[in-house]
Formats: sequence, C-alpha cells, structure tokens
Amino acid sequence: MSCGNVRERLAEHALGALPARDSAPIDRHLSWCAACRKEAGELQRASATLAFALAPHDPADGLEERVADVVHQAVERRDRRSHPVPRRSRLAFVAAAAAMLAVLGTGWGAVMAGRAARSDDAVLRQTIRNQSAVERFRDVLNTAEFGDPEGEVFLATLGPAASGGGGGSALTLVSPSIIDMAIVLVNGVPAETREHLPFTVRLRGDDGVVTVGRIEKGDLDESGAGTVMGEFDDLTGYDSVVVRDANGDVVMSGTMRTRADVASPSP
Amino acid sequence: MEGLLAGDDDAIRAMYARYGRPIYSLGYRLLGTRESAEELTQDVFLTAWRKATRFDPTRGRLSTWLMTIAHNLAVDRLRRETGVSRPTLVLVDEVPDAPGLDEEAVLIERDAAQRALSSLTEAERRLVARAYFRGMTAREIAETDGIPLGTVKTRLRSAMIKVRKANEGKDTE
Repeated sequence: MSCGNVRERLAEHALGALPARDSAPIDRHLSWCAACRKEAGELQRASATLAFALAPHDPADGLEERVADVVHQAVERRDRRSHPVPRRSRLAFVAAAAAMLAVLGTGWGAVMAGRAARSDDAVLRQTIRNQSAVERFRDVLNTAEFGDPEGEVFLATLGPAASGGGGGSALTLVSPSIIDMAIVLVNGVPAETREHLPFTVRLRGDDGVVTVGRIEKGDLDESGAGTVMGEFDDLTGYDSVVVRDANGDVVMSGTMRTRADVASPSP
Repeated sequence: MEGLLAGDDDAIRAMYARYGRPIYSLGYRLLGTRESAEELTQDVFLTAWRKATRFDPTRGRLSTWLMTIAHNLAVDRLRRETGVSRPTLVLVDEVPDAPGLDEEAVLIERDAAQRALSSLTEAERRLVARAYFRGMTAREIAETDGIPLGTVKTRLRSAMIKVRKANEGKDTE
C-alpha cells in the first residue's frame, strides 16, 4: 500500500472501524513507515481520548483484587519459567483430544456450507455449539491424566475476514513445566476460499510471529474443517491468531483470551 | 510501568486506582454486561503486564496505551460474539458529574474528551460514537444508513482530524 492509501484509512484504523482483513496491510505498512506511524499515533491518541467521554460506571469492589491476582499469577509463572525444569511433550495426548474436538465442531461446516439459506439463529446456535466444544476440550485438559497445575489455557474464537466465511477456534497451553503448544481448528471454510489453499496459521505476540502450521488441500474435510497444532518453547504473550491464504490475505483471525488456569477452571 | 512488570502490588493497585474505572466503563458500554466488563478489565491489565516493555512514554501517554488495548480487546470480542446487547450509549456530558470518584488525571482526560466531542457536529458525534463505542466498521455504517462507503470514510476522517486538533498543545500528562 502507498502512504496515500494508508493515510486515507488511518482514521478508521484508529477508531477500530476497519475489519481485520483491511487492518493487516496497514499494520504491515506502519511497521516500517515512520511518517505514517507518526500520524497513526496522533490519531490513536485522539481516539483514546474518546474513551474518557463515557459516563463512568463503578466496577464491583472485588475487581481490584481479581486484577491484582491475575497479574501476580502471571508474574509467578514467568519467574518459575526463568528457572527451567525438564519439560515433557504432550502432543500425542492432545492430538487425540483434538480429534474429539474436531468432531464436536464439524456442525459448523454444515451451517456455513449452506450460507445462502442460513439464518442468523442457525449461525448463533452453531457458534454456541462450537464454543461448547472448545470448553469441553478445556475440561479434558483439566483431567488428572493431563493435569498441569502450573499451566494456563488461552482460547480464541476465530472470525472470518469481511468477505469470507467459516469460523474456527484456537487454544494455546502455556506452562513452565510442560512444552507449550497451540492447536487451531478451522470450520466451514467456503469452497471459494478453499481455492486459495494452502493456509498458513500463525500466532503473533510480543516477540514476533510463530507458525503453527499449514493447512493443505488434503487437510480439510468436505465440510471445510481442519486442524493444525504445534509445540513451542514459550508461547507467553502470543495473543493473536491469523490464518492467511496462499495470497497472503487474511482468511480468519482472533485474539487469545485467558479463560482458566488448567488446575482451576473458572465456574 | 517497571513496578507493573515486576508484579509490584502497590504499582498494580495504583494503576488500577487510576485507570480501572475508565477501562471498566469502556468495557461495560461496549460489551453490555458487568461480567464481560470485568473480564475485559482483567485482560487489559494482563495484556499491559505482558507488553509493558513495549510501552514507550516518549511516544504516548499511558492512558492512551491502556485505552487502546482496552478498545482493541473489546471490539475484537464484540465482533466475534453475536447476540450482545449493549446499554444505551451515554456520554459524559449527558450525565451529571460524579466529583470525588476519579483521580485528577482522569478528570483531565475527561475534560479533553468533552473538548473533543464539542468540536464535532451532532452528526459527527453520532458517527464517531457508532464506530468507536459500537465497534461498527465503516462499511456497516454505510450499509445501515444507506450512504456510500466513501462518504462514511471521508466523514470519519474529517471528524477525527477535528478531535485531534481539539486537544493539540494540551498534553494531559
């Protein structure tokens, strides 16, 4: 993109009024263009000012404690990680669990395959079912067989790019005692999008980008569902998932959110 | 920020005392429930801790950085979740002040926000509010209003230039 094209869209970018598909090329431009980055920063400051225009709401009294606890726990995990212990792999176990998850989530493909006739209710029902499948997967991770008292689970729901379809889920496991891993499932990838395989699935974080894997033509079933997974030394801070097609265009994306410590799932 | 990075309890609580309420308020207005707003607030502080080394005070204020994190996380969640019902949008100049509840820095930020909003026409305010506080894309606004996408983009850009100019030379920290 040229500087002119980027600057025309920086106001939308600052307001969050761009879909992920359109934001990605602008972010790439800003990573190397100092002049545009300066203007983007000024507009970002302006948009952040707007946040203070809201009438204030008082949070519950206990929120301060929960915020402090979340940060303290993260600091403890980091400190333990700085004193490394032998770490074991869990890929084999997770592969089996992921197969279960893929089965649970495949209904999404059926819904998206009939996009022309689908109703919002059907999509909503399948979204809930899909999320439920991921929650069940998380429960598996809480079993004694897989138990990791120091681990943390992050989940993301992947949404399609503006002109695309399909959905997906992602899960990362970050632990000081077991090798970190990521698993990403895509569901209901439309036929027209499948023409641009292979997809590359990446995690983006503070320290850069890691590739979870590639989804080739033979990796998707007839409903457009497929899974990639990988093991990593440290996934701390990798908080966004981006799936790109062979042209480098974003197919779907999502943001990892803390949902529960492995040993103590939230209610 | 060094205190936050080290996990210093006083630093975390001081940051929460200053920014916890505006972050929670943004989450509540965007996501519509107290539970979601609380989850968002926790996520914002955790993200701030993770990215603390990337914060550069010479390039921007801490409030800008935190609110940008909060807004990005909230909009991302908003666009992925269906069926979210949000309360009616109420801006601060439409409700009585609640003196004594916020630190001075936040009140200064609020003044800056009021100054920014007052620089806009009513139509521009509605447009900016739908993009920023409702998480609507320019295309969604254009389709909802039945006006060309280019017109929405131009108006958003014009409005944001006004917002930026309204506080030029008025560094609040």
